[in-house]
Formats: sequence, structure tokens, C-alpha cells
Amino acid sequence: MAKASKFLRNFCIIAHIDHGKSTIADRIMELTGQVSKRDMEEQLLDSMDIERERGITIKLTPVRMYYTALDGNEYEFNLIDTPGHVDFTYEVSRSLAACEGALVVVDATQGVEAQTLANVYLALDNNLELVPVINKIDLQSARVEETKQEIEEVIGLDASDAPCVSAKEGTNIRDILEAVVKHVPPPEGDTDDPLRCLIFDSYYDNYKGVILFVRVKDGQVKVGDTIRTFLSEKRYDVTEVGAFAPQMQPKSLLSAGEVGYIAASIKSIEDVEVGDTVTNADRPAAAPLPGYKKVQPVVFCGIYPLDGSKFVDLREAILKLKLNDAALTFEPDNSVALGFGFRCGFLGLLHMEIVQERIEREFNLDIITTAPSVSYLVHKTNGESFYVDNPSHLPPPTDIDYMEEPIVKAEIYTPPEYVGSIMELCQDKRGVYKNMTYLDARRVCLEYRLPLNEIVYDFFDELKSRTKGYASFDYELDGYERSKLVKLDILLNGEACDALSTIVHEDHAYRRGRMLAENLKDAIPRQLFEVPIQAAVGGKIIARETVKAVRKDVLAKCYGGDITRKKKLLEKQKEGKKRMRQVGTVEVPSEVFMEILKTNKDRK
Amino acid sequence: MAGIYIHVPFCRHKCTYCDFVSFPNRMDVAEAYMACVIKELEMRGKELEGRSFDTVYFGGGTPSVVDPKYIYAVMRKIKESFTLSARPEVTIEINPGTVSEQKIATYKRAGINRFSIGLQTAIDAQLEDLGRIHNVRDYLYCTSLLKGENFSADIMLGIKGQTREDVRKTVEIAAGSGAKHISMYALTPEDGTPIYTDYLNGELPGGDEVAALYDYGRALLAQKGYARYEVSNFCKKGFESRHNLNYWRRGEYVGVGVSASSFMSGRRLLNTSDLDEYMKCILSGFFPVIDCEEVSERDAKFETVMLGLRTVYGFSPAAYRQTFGSDWKEDFAAAYKKTKEFLLEEGDCVRIRDEYLYVQNTILAEYAD
Repeated sequence: MAKASKFLRNFCIIAHIDHGKSTIADRIMELTGQVSKRDMEEQLLDSMDIERERGITIKLTPVRMYYTALDGNEYEFNLIDTPGHVDFTYEVSRSLAACEGALVVVDATQGVEAQTLANVYLALDNNLELVPVINKIDLQSARVEETKQEIEEVIGLDASDAPCVSAKEGTNIRDILEAVVKHVPPPEGDTDDPLRCLIFDSYYDNYKGVILFVRVKDGQVKVGDTIRTFLSEKRYDVTEVGAFAPQMQPKSLLSAGEVGYIAASIKSIEDVEVGDTVTNADRPAAAPLPGYKKVQPVVFCGIYPLDGSKFVDLREAILKLKLNDAALTFEPDNSVALGFGFRCGFLGLLHMEIVQERIEREFNLDIITTAPSVSYLVHKTNGESFYVDNPSHLPPPTDIDYMEEPIVKAEIYTPPEYVGSIMELCQDKRGVYKNMTYLDARRVCLEYRLPLNEIVYDFFDELKSRTKGYASFDYELDGYERSKLVKLDILLNGEACDALSTIVHEDHAYRRGRMLAENLKDAIPRQLFEVPIQAAVGGKIIARETVKAVRKDVLAKCYGGDITRKKKLLEKQKEGKKRMRQVGTVEVPSEVFMEILKTNKDRK
Repeated sequence: MAGIYIHVPFCRHKCTYCDFVSFPNRMDVAEAYMACVIKELEMRGKELEGRSFDTVYFGGGTPSVVDPKYIYAVMRKIKESFTLSARPEVTIEINPGTVSEQKIATYKRAGINRFSIGLQTAIDAQLEDLGRIHNVRDYLYCTSLLKGENFSADIMLGIKGQTREDVRKTVEIAAGSGAKHISMYALTPEDGTPIYTDYLNGELPGGDEVAALYDYGRALLAQKGYARYEVSNFCKKGFESRHNLNYWRRGEYVGVGVSASSFMSGRRLLNTSDLDEYMKCILSGFFPVIDCEEVSERDAKFETVMLGLRTVYGFSPAAYRQTFGSDWKEDFAAAYKKTKEFLLEEGDCVRIRDEYLYVQNTILAEYAD
């Protein structure tokens, strides 16, 4: 029996947003000499532009390091950085499955936050050894002792000798590494057993094909081996294996316990699924690793190329994103107003926003997105039941017996002075009050049950504006409930526009119809003819606005025959038109489809 | 048809809406500049030998602000370096605040036979607001000097506080003064001009109000015998501006002076807008051209349609076919489909329906690339 190295430690970091996770990762890498301070870009692991700009981690990123501990031995560390936002819980659970331990980072000024707790439970489910770390001790408002107490009370971890650090200033970082050596167990697994690697991430490289990010559980893999996965019968010859340093660094082999990558000229993106197990094709393991539970998307929207001819590029972009974003789902969709595109499913609103932004940035595609929707459970009069997430796929009202909508359990953390205003907001969004707890004198936790479709539009913006940005908000799905829902249609110049249809609660239909019509009136530019905008429910008009015909649109006096300038003016105007969608005879700016549902009047 | 345009980039005071190339504080170099214009004419003349020109147009700035002897000198050079047709139309833009009997006499001697006068509005307070140096009395004095001559008056719409009554008064004064031609155009608040601030603060009449003033003014002009032949241009029968018609028919023209543009042999040229650079170039014997656009066939087609549709004469599909060897409706199939209900097709003429001429950008933009 050849056991995995006892000098190996695989761990990840769990923390709430802003509690300093990526900065701690940076400091650890610095200390282990993985990157020199000089070469260091702030927050090295957050390699995507969006991550650095928003200061959040979206993707998990592995990195290998060597550390000589106080006991004189050299240890190999594999650190897997993970996202902190609720939408990316799935990513967290994947990295947890590749580790034996986790650092639980808590901000000494903020205490334990809900999201940290949620991920701690996830880690416990995965039998991970937890090492608490208290960060930001350099701040004046740091309350180290209280925080330790809170960790013990709320999380139930012994925090008496937890490392107290300042990642920003680099204080006591070595304590973290020693704690990892001491508390995180080395991996189990046998290098002689048949190969089993868990794919925890992947991405597409233009030269090498699909790159698999793996944790080797059993056996070994080296260049020249033939591998296959359990879900696909296809065989691939391994062309490269290696570790993350944090850039990919080729190695001769990867063996049980190690974290690394495999390249095997895998051309087809669809052949790889995160969570699947890789094994040796000639000496396959008997059974795959447990993998992870498939996540269900909860928020949906349509994504269409602005330029209809870019459909294939959009498809390619979504496929490539899907490769390292297993939670993203999509299927081809066709809208009368927007043409061919995709109906995509996301874990939450932030996830949706990130995907949209990545498509635009990383693939340089201009896209149109429709307003977010949720998945409704429709019960037809003939006894059939099915889920519908696209309002235009809803059967006619006469065929529907009743509908159910997803409900979330929401926790809103706020200073006490905003409680009244938040309750008003939740009330307005059909929320049902559950509980209120004072966490301390300055923090209240409000619990509500809210329909998901009420929070996908503007709940978060509203919450932030009503509380001057102080409130934070977490939610988790809490089943389906029967509800009186109707489809609200929008007619432009008498023609229904499928991409503007929404599903709303009956009691809100009139108000939302009014609002939509008013918003559209401001958003649709005046055309050569009058454009009536109507909101309708089940064929009945409930609101009407009119965009008046444009009356003046002429070029200024001739510029001494400067026809080039005139041409340029017209070309510019045409350019603007290209960003519009033709709905029947009416030209509608593309951002309208997404923005229109925001109640916020000062939207751009 | 071919025209010559001379740009005179000087004025006594910059109007609050003006974004033309004009230098109120550079009158000191007027003499040197006009000498450069004459030099450029000589340079161009050599290049364009053999061509005949039908119109000459002095625009600005304010051509009437410089000593009329320079205009005379320029005209002499034109006659010397270029071939003019038998009865050329020779226009000069004049500001009513800058004329005298002697000036007009010199212009006439120089061969000028058409005058374009910037009245703008018959309300003195509005003239002051626009930064104009003249008042209504100046205009009336100016036109009294031009009795019996062919002259045009410019009228502006969209001035701060302008009412229908103001437009009526202005049209009446312009018509009553004996103008054969009236240009009625909308003030365009350009970024960088003082009036743009008024626009940003919502102090200027909005598009709908301007459109209402335009409709009113147009009806009034029709009553007084001025027919619309282009979106902003109206005239008594036979008094169209030949120089401008040439632009709209894609005729050739040579532009001389700072910022002037030319269209010759399928190329659109633009002179520098920098006064000093212009003079430096000319004095060193170089053409002061900063931009040269080789008009592609697609652009030429677009220009034919866009320029033609500005006027009530539209354009001729037969002539289009003869020039390009293709059918315009096929060349612009998508645009045509979207705009055909706003067009009038009669015989060999396609034009924008009268009621849509004032929203022509929206229509023409469809034809752009």
C-alpha cells in the first residue's frame, strides 16, 4: 500500500464577502514565496477583471505552495480560493469536496455572518476540519475577544488558539500556516489503486482543449495515460498534467491526494461535466466518486445577440462559460421580438449579472437580456403539471387550473432604525413576516417568507436605497406555494411583444401594468407615427400610454456643402437604430427588455 | 453644374448659436487671408482648367465684414482663373449690420447678383439674445439698398421665447422687404456654443414647438407666394438658390478658404479649420486639405438618395439607374421597405411626402450604412 504523502495539505478558505478571504490567500502565497511581493498584483487569485473590479471572488482558483513548518518538514499546500456570495454556494461545495480542511475567516469588526455559517455547514457535511482565523485585527473597531466568543457560540468551534491576523498588514500569517499543518489532516487514498479524480472545475484553452481541474483521490495519472470519465465513453490521451503555482505548471505525474490539472486534447466542451470522475481507461475504477448534487437554477432570463447573425458566437460563448460554471443552464429559445437566443438559468441575480457581463467582456458580444423570471409550477385543468420559466410559454388562462410559485426564506440584517422601512418593503412585495431577532444593539435580523418573483426585479436595489446601503440580505429557496398568478402582456401599436411579457400576482397586475406602460412610454423613442402602448391581462387592456409621433427631425442648415458631415450625422443616427429591436412596426431600444421592470424611475 | 464656394471666416461678434468656423478677433489678418484665398484660387484654377462653373457663393463667418475691395479682388481672380458660364449666380452672405451704399455698389461691380441676408428674427430683443450685431431697422436699411435685386432672407426658428406672432412678424418683414427667397431653418444648439447652456436648461422651444412654428411659418410663406423647394428653403417662382441646388444634386463644387469643402472627380476634400495653418500651407504652395474621402459607389448611391430627398424634387430613379446601373429599390431594399409609406413615387420622381419632410432624418438614416 502506497499512501498519499503525509506532507500534503488541501484546504480552502470560507469567509463572508469583504472579510478578507482573497487578501489572506495573497499573503499566504507571499509568505510561501509563491509570488514575490514585487510581482504581486492585488488579489492574485481573482484573475477575472470582474472579480477585481467588484472585489468579489466568483470562480474557485487553486494554487500549490511549499511551506517549511516549524517542525522542520516541508509541506505541500493546495489552497483553493472560493467565492463568498450566496449565489455561488455551488462553487463552494465543489471546492470543499477537493479538500480536507477549511480556514473559516471571520472579520474581527463584523463577527460571524450568515453566509459564513451556511458554508461552515457545507464544510461539515463534507467532513472537513475547520480552522478559525480572525482577520482585520489592525482595525480600531476590531473586537478580537468578542469575535472568538461568537465563533465558539455561533459556529461551535474552539477559537481559543485561533490565529489572529491582519491580512492587510501581513501580521501573524505564519500562524495560519502552522494551524493548517497542525489541524488539517493529510489526504487519504492509495496511489496503487485504480485512478479516480474528481473534476471540480474546467475551462477551455484554445490550444490544449478542455483543461480539467482535478483532485486525485486514488491512483496516479501521467502523460501518455489513456483516460475516460464515467459519464462519457470517450477515451482521451493525456497530453499534460500539472499543478497550479498559481499559473499552470507541468509535472510528470499527479498522484492520490494531489490537486492539479489534466489536459487531454478534449475538443468537445459538452463531453465534460464538473462533478464527474476521471479514471484510467485501461484500468478503470469500479465506481465513480460521489460527486456533487446537481444544482437547480432559480432565476431565468433570455439572452439574445444584439446582432442576430452572432447567434453562433453566443452559443459558443455560453458553452465555454458553462464549462467552468456548472450551475449555468441554457436552452435555445426563439422570440418574435428578439430572434434566436437562449433561455438561461442562474443560481441568483448576481450570478445572472456576472454571466451577462462575462459574455460581453470575455467574448466581446453585445447582448440583449430580458427581464429575469422564476420557474412556476403550472397545473393544467387536464391534470398535467409542469414548470414554466418563460412567460411566453404559459398555456392560455382557460387551460390553467392553478399555479404555484417559488418562495424564499429571506434574512435581512439591518441596523434597527430601518426596520420599519424594510417591513414596508417586504409587505409591498407580498412578504410574510416570520421573525425578528436582535443580534446585538446595532444589528437586527428580520426573517420573511417572500415570493422569489418579487425579489428578482428590484428588491435588492430598493432595500439598499431604503437603508442607505446598510442592510444585507440572504435568501434560500423554501418550496413552492399556490398563488394567483397572471400573465401580463404588453402590446406595442396593437401587437403583443413576447419578450416583454411577465408573470405577476393578480393583485399587482394593474399597478405593474401601469408602471410598465409608463416606463415604456419614456423608454421608447418617438417614431414617425403614434405608438400606443397597452398592458393587457388575458386579453383585457388594463393600462394605456401613447408615444407621440416625432414632429421635427431635420439636419441643420447645410454646412457650406460639407456633405461628409451630414452623412456622418445620419450614419450615427443609423448606428443608434441598430441598437434597437423591431417589434412589429415599432423600434424598441434593446436595453428596454431588461430595464423596464425596474420601478426605479431614475434608471438610465 | 458646378459651383465655387469662398469661405470668409471673420465676423465682428460671434453669435451665441454659431459653430461655424469664424474668428471674431482675427480681423487683423483679413487682408493676408484674402490674399491666400486668391492664391488658393490660382492653385485650384490650374488644377481645374477646362471646367466651367455656374455659381459662386461667399459664405462665412460674415463675408460682408471685410473690405469689399477684397471681394472684388477675389471675383477678378475667379474670372481670371476659372471659366464661368454665361449667366452665373454669384451670391454673398451679408449681415445687415455691416452694409453701406458704397459696399453694395462694389459688390455689384464685382459681379455679385444675389444677396443672402441674415435677418433671423424681426424681434430686436431676440436678435440681441442671439448675439446678432444688427436690429430690424438695420435689416430694413440693408434691403432698401437692394431694391430690385435678387436677395434672400434667413429666418430662424426655435429662438428662446419665440411665439407664432414673432414668426408672423418676421415672415412679414422678410416678405415685405422684397426678398425673392427665404430660408427658414431651425436653430441647432451645438455643444460648445453659448446657447447650448440654454438648451441644457430647457429654455429653448422643444422639437414639437419648433415643428408647430415651422408649420405655421410654412403656411404663411405659401400664402405670400413662397413655395418650399427644400426642407428649409422657400422662394418665389424661379428664384431657387442654384448654388445650393447643385449640392443637393451631387454637382461638383470647389471650396476655397479655411474649413471649405470640395467635391471634385468623385472625391470629397476638406480644408483645415485652423486659420494659421491654412495660411501657412497656402504661402508654402501646398493645398490645405486635411481630409480626402474617395466616395465609394455605395456612398455615392446613398448621397444621391439622401441629398435628393431633402428637396421637394426628390431624385430620379431613371437617372439613378443610368449612373449606377442598378435599381435603387434593390440597393436599399431594407430601408425602402421601412420607409416607403413616407415616400411619394410619381412618374420618374421619388420624394418624401410633404408632411414628413420635417422628420426626414429619421427616414434618411435608414438609408445610411
